[in-house]
Amino acid sequence: MMENILEVKNLSKKYKDFELKSINFKLKKGMIMGFIGENGAGKTTTIKAILDIIKNYKGEIKIFGLDNKKNDKTIKEDIGVVLDDMFFPEILMPIDINSIMKDNYKNWDSNLFFKELSDFSLPKNKQIKTFSKGMRKKLEIVTALSHHPKLLILDEPTSGLDPIARNEVIDIFQDFIQNEECSILLSSHITTDLEHIADYITFINDGEIILSKTCDELLEEYGIVKCNESDFKKIDQKDFIKYKKNKYEYEILVENKKEFLKKYNVTTIDKLTLEDLMLLMIKGVK
Amino acid sequence: MLGLIKKDLLMIKSNIKTLFIILVVYGVMAYQGQMDLSFILPFMSVMIMISTFSYDAYNKWDAYASCLPNGRQNSVRAKYIATLLLIIITTAIVTILMIAIAYARTKSIDLESVFSTVLGTAFATIILQSFMYPSIYKFGVEKARIGIFIVVFGIAIVGGIIAKYIDFKPMFQVLDNLGNYWMIILPVVMILVLYLSYKISEGIYKKKEY
Repeated sequence: MMENILEVKNLSKKYKDFELKSINFKLKKGMIMGFIGENGAGKTTTIKAILDIIKNYKGEIKIFGLDNKKNDKTIKEDIGVVLDDMFFPEILMPIDINSIMKDNYKNWDSNLFFKELSDFSLPKNKQIKTFSKGMRKKLEIVTALSHHPKLLILDEPTSGLDPIARNEVIDIFQDFIQNEECSILLSSHITTDLEHIADYITFINDGEIILSKTCDELLEEYGIVKCNESDFKKIDQKDFIKYKKNKYEYEILVENKKEFLKKYNVTTIDKLTLEDLMLLMIKGVK
Repeated sequence: MLGLIKKDLLMIKSNIKTLFIILVVYGVMAYQGQMDLSFILPFMSVMIMISTFSYDAYNKWDAYASCLPNGRQNSVRAKYIATLLLIIITTAIVTILMIAIAYARTKSIDLESVFSTVLGTAFATIILQSFMYPSIYKFGVEKARIGIFIVVFGIAIVGGIIAKYIDFKPMFQVLDNLGNYWMIILPVVMILVLYLSYKISEGIYKKKEY
């Protein structure tokens, strides 16, 4: 039985001023992977390679156990995508999208498409160019879901949405993986959304995967220690990942809260948020 | 692929009002004898197809289409088929209108003249599009538009200069000798040129990164 819905092995791609360096990660069935990293870290390039819309990359990408290049058509029947700023020409209307997509996907479900449009209060007979950014994003999500895909690849799907719409969208994503057959790869800057829904977090920085763990593992085991300079000097370098010196204190990212507490006389270790993690991993030093 | 052809036709449909207005205005002018109707619609079809490229580029449609099943393979083909359909439809409308206007004005119709005019216009339209599309796929709409303008302008100037020194009469003689065969030859050449253009565009598109 196929366990991994997506496998990325040694993915490399060179540009003049940027490089993806041997990216490796796996996404299991029924899981949501949050793909995080700062702008220009390589998230979108990785997603584009997975979708085979960039060329000349090295490495192996398997989706549903099949090579993404050799089985392009078969694979894409079962993938739904929301890509940043890439969509249908804006002079078209949602009703046109239905008409086009039902001839593109074997499993296109017009009833589902119109139901979701109605649930999101999106008009079906208005040109996309009249939509707000949030409405447009919702339409992209509805379109991605309406052929019953097994894998959703979403690049910043919640950007531009207000908190209520974001909540609705996150509920839809959670419903999507309920049957435990479907998975989501979701890149987002809105890390609080990921804390709510992601099972795994994969963190890319400067073209390299620097961390890929379950979200629970990260939020439970990792922590942030805040201390003064004299306490900081007592801490062994190998006992923390990165630190950041603020105006009045040091913030230290530790990998194992419990071990750290046993070893050092520290009274408080703050619970980690993904935002803290990103900040310390990128801006912190060692 | 049907879905992708539909997409281009639906985009054209959203310009249908403009086409209709132009048709009415030029139809009236043609009836009054102020204007030759033959080239208006086919050339409008060029402009409309170019505008579909602009909308595609603005919304990064090609990247999105590459994520659809067989999207990359079928996108270019769909664009060419939509172009051909549009040319056939506009040419048919113009033919009917020209016959109707000629009949309304003079109560007599020179069918051969109508067909030759319409076929010539369709030929020119297809040749223009066959040059434009690969350039658009390679350089994008804006650069290609400027490029084609320079090339057409350049050809006109060079052609004008050459015409001063070369006698084209023998060439026209050859065309005259073809008699009515050119009615068959011209569409065959059109299809061949368009097919060649399609293969070039497809080659460019397959290698494209988004």
